[in-house]
Amino acid sequence: MRSGGGDTVFDFSWVDFNLFEVTYDVVVFVVGITAVLAALGVILCSSPIYCALYLIGHMMCLALLFLLYHAEFIAAVQIIVYAGAVMILFLFIIALLGGKKEKQEFSFHKFMALGFVGILSAELMLSARVGKTQPVEGMFTPAKITEVGSAKAVGIELFSRHLVPFELASILLLVAAVGVICLAKFPLKPLRRRAR
Amino acid sequence: MGPHFILLISALIFSIGALGFVIRRNPLIMFMSVELMLNSVNFLLIGYSNELRSIDGQIFALVIMTVAAAEVVVGLAIILTIFRTRHDLDVDHLDVLKG
Amino acid sequence: MFGYAWLILLAPLAGFIFLSWFGERIPRDRVGWIACGTVGAAFLATLTLLLEMSVLEPDQRLNHVITLYTWITSGKFTLNLALLVDPLSVFMFLVVTGVGFVIHVYSIGYMSHDPEYSRFFAYMNLFIFSMCTLVGAADFFFLIVGWALVGLASYLLIGFWRDRTSAVLAARKAFVMNVIGDVGMVIAAFVIFEHFGSLNYVDVFQAAPKLFMANDDVILLITLFLLVGAVAKSAQIPLHTWLPDAMEGPTPVSALIHAATMVTAGVYLVARCHVLYALAPFSMYLIATIGAVTAVFAGSMAMVQYDIKRIIAYSTMSQLGYMFLAVGIGMFSLGMFHLMTHAFFKALLFLGAGSVIHGLNDEQDIRKMGGLGRIMPITHATFLIGALALAGFPLTSGYYSKEAIIMSSWHAEMGNFVFWGIAVFTAGMTAFYIFRLFFYTFMGKSRNAEAHPHESPIVMTGPLMVLALLSLCGGVLGPWVSRFLAPVFGFEIPHFEDGLLETIALLAGIGGIVTAILLYFTGQDRLEFAKQALAPIYDILFHKYYVDELYDFFIVQPVKGIGAFLEERVEKFGIDFAVDQVGVQLREVSFYISLWQSGKVRIYATNMVAGMVVILLFVVFL
Repeated sequence: MRSGGGDTVFDFSWVDFNLFEVTYDVVVFVVGITAVLAALGVILCSSPIYCALYLIGHMMCLALLFLLYHAEFIAAVQIIVYAGAVMILFLFIIALLGGKKEKQEFSFHKFMALGFVGILSAELMLSARVGKTQPVEGMFTPAKITEVGSAKAVGIELFSRHLVPFELASILLLVAAVGVICLAKFPLKPLRRRAR
Repeated sequence: MGPHFILLISALIFSIGALGFVIRRNPLIMFMSVELMLNSVNFLLIGYSNELRSIDGQIFALVIMTVAAAEVVVGLAIILTIFRTRHDLDVDHLDVLKG
Repeated sequence: MFGYAWLILLAPLAGFIFLSWFGERIPRDRVGWIACGTVGAAFLATLTLLLEMSVLEPDQRLNHVITLYTWITSGKFTLNLALLVDPLSVFMFLVVTGVGFVIHVYSIGYMSHDPEYSRFFAYMNLFIFSMCTLVGAADFFFLIVGWALVGLASYLLIGFWRDRTSAVLAARKAFVMNVIGDVGMVIAAFVIFEHFGSLNYVDVFQAAPKLFMANDDVILLITLFLLVGAVAKSAQIPLHTWLPDAMEGPTPVSALIHAATMVTAGVYLVARCHVLYALAPFSMYLIATIGAVTAVFAGSMAMVQYDIKRIIAYSTMSQLGYMFLAVGIGMFSLGMFHLMTHAFFKALLFLGAGSVIHGLNDEQDIRKMGGLGRIMPITHATFLIGALALAGFPLTSGYYSKEAIIMSSWHAEMGNFVFWGIAVFTAGMTAFYIFRLFFYTFMGKSRNAEAHPHESPIVMTGPLMVLALLSLCGGVLGPWVSRFLAPVFGFEIPHFEDGLLETIALLAGIGGIVTAILLYFTGQDRLEFAKQALAPIYDILFHKYYVDELYDFFIVQPVKGIGAFLEERVEKFGIDFAVDQVGVQLREVSFYISLWQSGKVRIYATNMVAGMVVILLFVVFL
């Protein structure tokens, strides 16, 4: 793997393999597998609160992977936005609605769904082998990112070439905020009427 | 290790998310499954952005996060409203639109 | 130059709109005067038009097209909202608005007890507007518009008393018959546009002699289809059966629409298109034949009827036959002249009949009348003048116009002795039936003890006197009409000197009067004897030659049979079944499809995943 470099105290040149690269690969592999296991935990736990905790773990793993892939800014955003804000929101809602355990039973529907998803998964993995597109290499090598800083690199790209999507995203957030206020505030009246 | 690992992990997480969405009855967990699927895509984008030395993947990931955040907020508000009117969180009971 | 001619159309239209909207809310007496005022304004505008036209040189009186605005432009085709002012249209405006005004005034008295006073006057104004559109139009398009609008006004007014079933049926009959004519007119307009590329009178009439030879197929087609419209509107054979039934309407309506103005539109149409008809001698001959046959046919039916209005209605058909005869033999001015005098004396007769009916509280059977002469002196005197004019008694207006037609039917280029013989015979019958009616109504003793007849108010007798004066003296206008219309038709009426024929025609008229006196005034036993002797003929005449029955048997019953078959078989087992089955099967299928829509989110999600699987199959393996 291409490593970010950096000086090492020890001279490993006599070893046939680059210890740093091997370590990097192992770390990536372990963290990736952990993310998958955490994801499994999300969908298999019967109590929502455990699901949420597993999801936080999954997010953390992903953030770690982002760090390993030299996307420090995105990793920070992942932690703050996802693991921080969104998951806190989830936990609040769970606390509000009461995390009732879900009864798990086996049904024909589940069996069918499992079959479909299995096929889907196999197809997704197979699709990795049939890439007909040619990759286009960019200019942001890890060295360059380290030089200018991840956040700055993203900022330069975001505010020059991708300005319109950025603004659209902000409008999307605004619309979502307005929508949530409408949803949360106004249907209170019919609720009271029904409660009587 | 390489692009195939990224694709593999990403496909696995995506499938797990889809499975969770299909088999769980609690809408909160269904939303978490949606988050899983979105995250798998994010992971794919970031991984390939590193592979191809391009930063566009990260921009995409940012936009996806924005969408996810908006979606979660609205979705949770809807769940809240449904719960307040019906006092019940099982999506299988929400079949008013049955044909 | 004649820009104010639009007033003739706009004044009655304004009256119509005003009375339809506000008629119920303003006092009753004001409604009548508003309606009369609008028609009077139109009449004054027409008089001004006439004066201005008279000071012009004769060759400058033609083709004044007053365009209000261009309505449609499509390629080479333009349609202007325009009026054509020439001696013919001015003449028709005069008759329509003049007689119309007099009859409007009369209606104020006649309809005074009717609860729907304002509706009546609104319709009358609509009719005047429509008729002025018809005669003033500068192209075939607005001619047809006016043609249809007068049909509508006629329909509305025949069925004015809408709670009477017979009136509604009569209105429907008139409308259907007129629509047959309208279709003919529209086809004619299509053919004209196809071959001339324009619908303007001026363009068409100037191009026609250059483009076509006499008796060309196209010209024959156009003239014959126009003739269908004219025959339907003027109640000529074979489309005549609606006119007697149209007498279900109020009497002023019969006087205005079904005697004086609307039914003469056919004559006007032939006169207006005289350029085309001059190129089609065959059509001219056909017109003359239809006119002559209708004249004798309707006249004979009038001799045996007992309904006072129906007698006059048959008389109207008969006189329209004279007009058709006149224009058919090429004497267009003569036809128009007879149109005018007929408008005077027939309106007079109808209004007189209306006065009688009004006085007798809606009694129309002449067998229940009698002895009214002493009680209703003004009606009596004016009716006598009208009857004399209709009979063609010397020095009345009818004498001049009818005598001239009879003479021309022999001496004109296209006339022959058959037309002449029919015309003379009809003249005798005319004199007979109108005096039969007169004696039944005004002479002898009263046959109805219950009725308490009374003379009508001045608002009704005034118009009678005006019309009586015109009927008496209208004949002196003959030479003026001939000169005034000469620029349009290109020639004046020639005066035929033939003492013998004149005497025979005169004797026929007087013979008719004398027969009526002998049968109905002096001796009842002679009448019974005549009835017995002529019983078969009497029967046929009384049943109007069984034309209605023939139509019923040959057209109505087969159509009804086909309709019943279609309803029983095709509708029930073909169309209904098919339509029902479409619905039933769709419901069945959609029931099974709707099972799919379980309302459960997870099932939907599974379906989505399945769809994704299928799509990825294509991506991966294809």
